[in-house]
Amino acid sequence: MSANLSNLRHTRGFDLVKPLSVTALLVMMLPLILLPLASIFIFGMSAGLDKFWASLTAPDAVFALQLSLVTSFWATVFNILFGLFAAYVLARYQFWGRNAIIVLISIPTAIPTAVAGFALLLLWGPYGLLGQYLPDEYRIMFTPYAIILANIFVTFPLAFGVIMPVLETMDRSLEEASATIGASRWQTFWHVTLPALRGAIVGGALLTFARSVGEFGSTILVSGNLSGRTQTAPLYIFAKFNEGQVEAANAVAVVLAVFSFVIFSILFFARDWLEAD
Amino acid sequence: MPQTENIGSAVEVRNVSKSFGETPVLRDINFAVDEGEIVVLLGASGSGKTTILRIISGLESQDEGTVEFAGRDVSQLPARLRSTGVIFQSYALFPKMTVERNIGYGLRLRGRPKNEIDQRVNELIELVHLDEHRTKRPSQLSGGQQQRVAIARALAYEPEVLLFDEPFGALDAQIRTRLRREIRSLLKEINVPSIFITHDQEEALELGDRIAVLNGGRIEQIGTPYEVYMYPQTEFVATFLGAANILVGTFENGSFRSGEIKVELASTGHRFREGQSIKLVFRPEDVFLRKPDNLVQNYQNLADAVVEEVSFVGAFERLQVRLQTHDRQSIIVTRPKTETSVNPLAQGDRVSTGIVRFRILPNFPLGSETAAKIV
Repeated sequence: MSANLSNLRHTRGFDLVKPLSVTALLVMMLPLILLPLASIFIFGMSAGLDKFWASLTAPDAVFALQLSLVTSFWATVFNILFGLFAAYVLARYQFWGRNAIIVLISIPTAIPTAVAGFALLLLWGPYGLLGQYLPDEYRIMFTPYAIILANIFVTFPLAFGVIMPVLETMDRSLEEASATIGASRWQTFWHVTLPALRGAIVGGALLTFARSVGEFGSTILVSGNLSGRTQTAPLYIFAKFNEGQVEAANAVAVVLAVFSFVIFSILFFARDWLEAD
Repeated sequence: MPQTENIGSAVEVRNVSKSFGETPVLRDINFAVDEGEIVVLLGASGSGKTTILRIISGLESQDEGTVEFAGRDVSQLPARLRSTGVIFQSYALFPKMTVERNIGYGLRLRGRPKNEIDQRVNELIELVHLDEHRTKRPSQLSGGQQQRVAIARALAYEPEVLLFDEPFGALDAQIRTRLRREIRSLLKEINVPSIFITHDQEEALELGDRIAVLNGGRIEQIGTPYEVYMYPQTEFVATFLGAANILVGTFENGSFRSGEIKVELASTGHRFREGQSIKLVFRPEDVFLRKPDNLVQNYQNLADAVVEEVSFVGAFERLQVRLQTHDRQSIIVTRPKTETSVNPLAQGDRVSTGIVRFRILPNFPLGSETAAKIV
């Protein structure tokens, strides 16, 4: 038997290891990733499409989805602008403390999201370090602005992390050529640097957006979780599940799952297009 | 303020020095480029040639000295206001722009009207023969085509000077030779002053109207290819641009003496002290080899020698011969085919050596090479 196997292993044209390892990979992924995702769809649809549609179009559900999209959008816009700026400064200039700044920017990935939310509360909350001095109308905790702030904090390093390596490895002579041709720094950035970063910017934005839409830990602390006012889609799912309304939770969960699937498919399949010359 | 009347050279680099930290990179660089002239800065890597180019273009600032374009001091201007056309070694074409857009970039930055830009781009595309490639991206072009786009892009805004940073470095040997001829004739056609930097002596000889040989951040010699090759002023120049044999001896009674070797020096042009240590510098092709007692040429007899090695190097033959003098130094000799067929030589043959052309340089083994320039 063992003699047969060792023969098979080196047989030209049919390599037993290939189908075996692909199968093993799928078997490992099945209980960890595929089955949990499948159950969302199975449960979501189990009561029929009508019920699913009704759950999805319930005003609070629609509001939660909209709030998630809007807050994530603004967090993404901010983090792309910030990531571009930070990557440009850190890739172009050498200065004392540069590495420390890179580590600082990356920290939010390592902090539990609940801690991030808690930290924001301790700063901007009614009794927070700065929040206590703010007049009532500028208190942003437990408003949609707090959700944006939490999203920014949690997804802070993502766009930066995608843009920075591209900028660092970019051929410096492109920018120098642009300068000798007569371009100001801003013109060079706009006409030469930015187009070279197109792929990284789109990729970083999709990552940031996807991560923001799914954010839960920090949002539940800073938003107040008020249905129809500050309740995002993940919070809605959690709330409905706690209330025993599994269909309502499921319907929104299906939307979020499909949404992430679409975003990561774009990232994967559009990579060639994004990075094409 | 009245404009200075001195509009002699298109580009003038005066007393430029530069250090990176504690390391001096350029020391007192002086040279000028005339209208329509091609000057090649030739040097090994680390000789400072790239830094000179970057200082002229404004990408680097000098510590001392000035850069002038047509008599106008541009030393303090940023790169974008100097109007130089730099052709980078990597060409640095903008990857997301088509050939046309790359070429038109400088004119768009200057806010020229669209029809003027289109017309100029068309002229340039025709000049560099890229008509069927005008809508392609740089990544779809060959190295030579990319280089032509880079030149056209620089010419579009009529720069004061074209600066070529090792432009043939990334190309095959064969293409390189063809391209440098093409580029030289193109530059002569458009008559824009140009500075090339290279470490390739053949390239320097073929491209330049004048060559400046750089060593350790100094210009050792500047002159026409003929002058620099025929009359090297330092040992470095003699050995970097072409090959050279060097014998060390002393100046005695108007002659070079080294043991049994005596070479008569013409009476003019040599200002050496009696007994001063000097070097006899001669090129391998300036050595004549004859069977002993067969001397008919009007050359200076050097010494008898034994052929140690004969190798065939394509167009000519290269021999290593050992002089039969007290220090038994060996020298390199090259002979053309016409010579080798009439007068064949093999290893072990005894020959007389003589030289038709040579240079005498003072021998300052520890001093700087530039201090050793003869007057």
